[in-house]
Amino acid sequence: MAELNAKLLMKKAIPRVLKATVWGSLTFFVVYCLPMMLYPTDILPFDYAAQLGQFATIVVFFAVAGQLFSGTLIGCGFGIAKAIIIIAYFFTISDNGIFSVTLSVSEVTVNFAVDISVILLMIVSVNLFNVAKNLLEALTLLTEKSTDIDLT
Amino acid sequence: MKIAIRMLSIATIILWLVIVFFSATAVYSVMNLGINLGEVQMLPSSKGITFSLPFSISNNGYYELADLNLTTRVTDSAGTVLDITETLVPSIPRGTNVNASHTIPIDLDTILTMDHVPLLLNDSEFTVEILAGLNFARAVPVQISTNATIPWGAPFAHFSVGRISVSPHNSTHVEASVPVSFENHAIIDITGTLKLEFINDSSEKIASGMTSISVPPQQGYADRILVYTMQQDILKITSSGNLHLIFETPVFVVEWWESYG
Repeated sequence: MAELNAKLLMKKAIPRVLKATVWGSLTFFVVYCLPMMLYPTDILPFDYAAQLGQFATIVVFFAVAGQLFSGTLIGCGFGIAKAIIIIAYFFTISDNGIFSVTLSVSEVTVNFAVDISVILLMIVSVNLFNVAKNLLEALTLLTEKSTDIDLT
Repeated sequence: MKIAIRMLSIATIILWLVIVFFSATAVYSVMNLGINLGEVQMLPSSKGITFSLPFSISNNGYYELADLNLTTRVTDSAGTVLDITETLVPSIPRGTNVNASHTIPIDLDTILTMDHVPLLLNDSEFTVEILAGLNFARAVPVQISTNATIPWGAPFAHFSVGRISVSPHNSTHVEASVPVSFENHAIIDITGTLKLEFINDSSEKIASGMTSISVPPQQGYADRILVYTMQQDILKITSSGNLHLIFETPVFVVEWWESYG
């Protein structure tokens, strides 16, 4: 029995963990390291490292969770949760589409506001597609399970 | 079902790529914008003073900048709106350079009315609210606002009336000599006619006189204005009263009251 468990662990769990680790590292590199290399915080007039860090944490967590539970209903649940959390996160940090920041430029206070509603709309759309995709995947999984005939 | 899932996956990837591509190129474009603001120039004009802010924008990014709108609102220290000016640049296509100038004309005739006598006599500061808006790539509206203060030099700063002396002029008239002094802190010459009306404490106009003055910027003026009145009216000259001062130039007329005694 113990041998069977070890075999199952070697065959199923470890590849998933490895895949999740690689996937998580890759996501962290693309979402956090690459933007920081291309646009370091000192070349833009405001500090965006904290927001980027938060976003990277959310995305990496769901990338790892998604890979660990891929092909399962829990994985689909994580996919839907990721989409909803990303939508909520972007709405929160962009103050419902108007991103504003106050800068001090040589003793003068400059208020800077960018209406990123179009980008926000695209982010919402892509995440709604994700929700739909995960729902369909969950339905497929459930359908396959209910139509499987257990002959044992 | 599997085809639908695959299509949704492809759509998701494409949309993410569009978002990432647009965001990255937009940030790159903003970083490659060259905005140069010149020195604010305060120039004399036919109607008063003109503030001019030259600026240039070189769009070295990937996207067009549309509907650039620069609005300035000038208010005095009491918050009264003196001017609202708008400069519009309809489009700055990518790879082009636009030179423009935002000009704020200050009409002295409007400012130097009775309502703005403090501006005539006291140095002050104007607050300039600057609001700039543009449409980035015709998709992302951007707005920048700031405040600045511009010093205002009063043309009749430290205006004072000295001790009035009365002496006989001829057999019918007496002469009153009114010492007047001020400093021209404005950037324009104060050239015109200063008319003075002598009003006693019973609000009777006793006499009037005028003098031509020409005071360059940052220079002082100190002289006597002579007014004449009939011998029989000499008793009407009281030790205190008011002086009605009217300054006339070809461009504007201002008037104010000073008390004496």
